[in-house]
Amino acid sequence: MLFFRSEAQVIEWCRDRQVPVRPLVTLEQLWGLALAWYATRLRSESRRPQAAEMVEIFAGLGLTGEFWDPGSRL
Amino acid sequence: MSGGISPGSADLDLEVKLAVYRHFAATGKRPSADQVAREVSSDISSVAEAYGRLRAQRVLLLEPDGRSIRMAPPFSGVPTQHVVETGTVTYFANCAWDALGIPAALGAPATVRSRCEQSLEPLRLEVGLGGPGRSDWVFHCLVPAARWWEDLVFT
Repeated sequence: MLFFRSEAQVIEWCRDRQVPVRPLVTLEQLWGLALAWYATRLRSESRRPQAAEMVEIFAGLGLTGEFWDPGSRL
Repeated sequence: MSGGISPGSADLDLEVKLAVYRHFAATGKRPSADQVAREVSSDISSVAEAYGRLRAQRVLLLEPDGRSIRMAPPFSGVPTQHVVETGTVTYFANCAWDALGIPAALGAPATVRSRCEQSLEPLRLEVGLGGPGRSDWVFHCLVPAARWWEDLVFT
């Protein structure tokens, strides 16, 4: 889970390692993920999102498809 | 009575989890098992058992010794390339996601310092209470969501 300066840098990085390019996430979307996972982490009621919740969170941020499905066999 | 979690273990697990996270938040560093034991008025053996249960719940990732915390996401127990600075404390994050996760967890503004993994260009990102400032940097995750916890260090 890494930062890149641009999509072109992602493509180069993946090509160099012969790995697939995955869906890109903007920093605005990443902030949404950070809030969903961690905003309550220091509180007693905090818990990790379960699979169905993860799908909802991802979809709410526009992250859909098999890559973001925790039940996928991808 | 069957084996498994004792009646009081859930309470201890919560106390241990909160002690771990509060230590990270206050210092930027992982607590020792001894420090956590003192904080929750318990013994190291009981804390280690709680660590094991919290690992099973995917709350903590432990070093092979079972008593040292490698990750209490978003906090990293070891130095990484993802550094998060508030006015008073410096933290290490486990990954790019967690680098934004630390100001989200703290509810505090922070500066994230990292890099482009391909060009190694430095990233300096100011994160306010409403999130990061406008930026065209991107986040890329190689591992699909279904396999994130198979090898969390690699992910």
